[in-house]
Amino acid sequence: MTLICLLLAVFCGLVVGPTSIGTSRIIGSLFAHLGIGHSTLDTMQTTIVWQLRAPRLVLGLLSGAMLAVAGGTYQGVFRNPLADPYLLGVAAGAGLGATFAIMDVGHAVSTPTWTPLIAFAGAMLAVGCTWLIGGRGMSSNASTLVLAGVAVAALLTSAQTFLQQQASANSIARVYIWLLGSLASASWSSVNLALPYVLVCITICVLCGQALDVMSVGEDEARSLGLPVRRVRTLVIIASSLGTAAIVSVVGLIGFVGIIVPHIVRLVVGTSYRRILPISVVVGAAFLVFADTIARTAVSPSELPLGVITALVGAPVFVLVLSIRRTQQ
Amino acid sequence: MSAIDIKNLTVKAGAKTLVNDVTLSVEAGTWLTIIGPNGAGKTSLVETVAGIRKIDAGSIAISGEDIRGLSERERARLVALVPQNPLVPGGMSVRDYVALGRTAYHGMLRAPSAGDRAIVDSVIERLSLQEFAKRNVATLSGGERQRMVLARTLAQSTMVVVLDEPITGLDLRHQMDLLELLKKEVADCGLTVLATLHDLTLAGQFADRLVLLDHAQVVLDGPARDVIRNAELASRYGMQLRVVDVDGADVVVPVRS
Repeated sequence: MTLICLLLAVFCGLVVGPTSIGTSRIIGSLFAHLGIGHSTLDTMQTTIVWQLRAPRLVLGLLSGAMLAVAGGTYQGVFRNPLADPYLLGVAAGAGLGATFAIMDVGHAVSTPTWTPLIAFAGAMLAVGCTWLIGGRGMSSNASTLVLAGVAVAALLTSAQTFLQQQASANSIARVYIWLLGSLASASWSSVNLALPYVLVCITICVLCGQALDVMSVGEDEARSLGLPVRRVRTLVIIASSLGTAAIVSVVGLIGFVGIIVPHIVRLVVGTSYRRILPISVVVGAAFLVFADTIARTAVSPSELPLGVITALVGAPVFVLVLSIRRTQQ
Repeated sequence: MSAIDIKNLTVKAGAKTLVNDVTLSVEAGTWLTIIGPNGAGKTSLVETVAGIRKIDAGSIAISGEDIRGLSERERARLVALVPQNPLVPGGMSVRDYVALGRTAYHGMLRAPSAGDRAIVDSVIERLSLQEFAKRNVATLSGGERQRMVLARTLAQSTMVVVLDEPITGLDLRHQMDLLELLKKEVADCGLTVLATLHDLTLAGQFADRLVLLDHAQVVLDGPARDVIRNAELASRYGMQLRVVDVDGADVVVPVRS
């Protein structure tokens, strides 16, 4: 079922678009890439499919998968249903980094290719600060870390606001667009930038499902059951934050995926993270590609911000999930 | 060799000393219950033995192994804990909950093996939890839930079991049932039990030995009969107590002043 959704999403990502190209010809081109038969697409169409739609599709899949699994992992490790991938300051850090880059503070980094790298550095710096302030995960209670994340995020957001106040209207608009999150600038180079981190981080998160199930009885009890709680916590926080930072730095801030997908999955497969996490990877990937398909076709030829779609679709679905949960209880 | 060997143990939380220079050893296959007024340090002592609190001074050895030198996993194969307020994650099935007891054997990245599942099934059967096995843990009554927590602890297959107030919140019948179940495990499997209990009558009836803890230190230590009759006991609780023999069983009765 989830795999069918994923295939359907892949289909939408490649076939649906302002330029209409026949499904069979795209499939033909796909096979041609695999060395079977010949592509019937002209140069323009080939560029549209392979240089615009395909990298955008792949980046959408990666982003959705990573944000969903990171959200699910955080909800498990902090035992907090409201946890999302931006909990420890990733968003605020990346936002400040991107603002720096876009406003070209210090006039050192004028090319837009630097934006993701500086956003990534900002995100990792923010999580690093949270980690240090929150006691490097050594405290017996993870909530210290969450509170440290709130403090770091508040500080960095205020710094970002301060910077924006000094900026021109033009660069404020660009920062604003970046903050809304979009797959519009996806290219194979942005895929390459995020791919290694995301693949490794998703694998680690999914493998930790069993450990997160043990942690659902609380950290003290998990320790008495023989789980190295601090090591697990450190590992999953690093994996989730690193993967999220990599995604945020190339696509900006896309809200709601990380919180809504694990909740929907939980509703269907139950509370075990051994099932929730791998299925969230697939559902998250499909969800984001569907959302992006709407974002780029609803008001074609212009585009809606992806974050608007995820929230617009996400919020009502989330309300539905909550009401189903209530009747189940 | 004693199953639990506590030497000059001191445990602190900030400036407060929770356990002060306690030395205590428990013979294998026996049941020792710690009694004492609220705040005496009972919970801190047993949690430290179970490895979830840091030792500030002294040492604890379980089956001859100093627990400070052990990883979480190694320690969890030696000693299991029934905490005072177990956190029961709603949505999980009773069988999955009991299977958490096997964590120390299958590791953090792998699911329980067939061997682990067989042990879980046998514990579930021994504690008559079969009819609940597929139920959501959140739907159990207090007595059923506590039996399930005990099952998880026994699934840990340790020779030493530590219980912190295991019968709190249960009615009389379920209190007796749980303690009888545990007594049977001690007799059948040679378990060593270290427990804390508030009910002095039940403490006296089920333990081979009682230790009275007050102000973080051991005040009395001896066979249950003697400790219950010691005048020091009442004075430490700051009240009058009478011990009544009912068909050979000691019953501790508080007296209104």
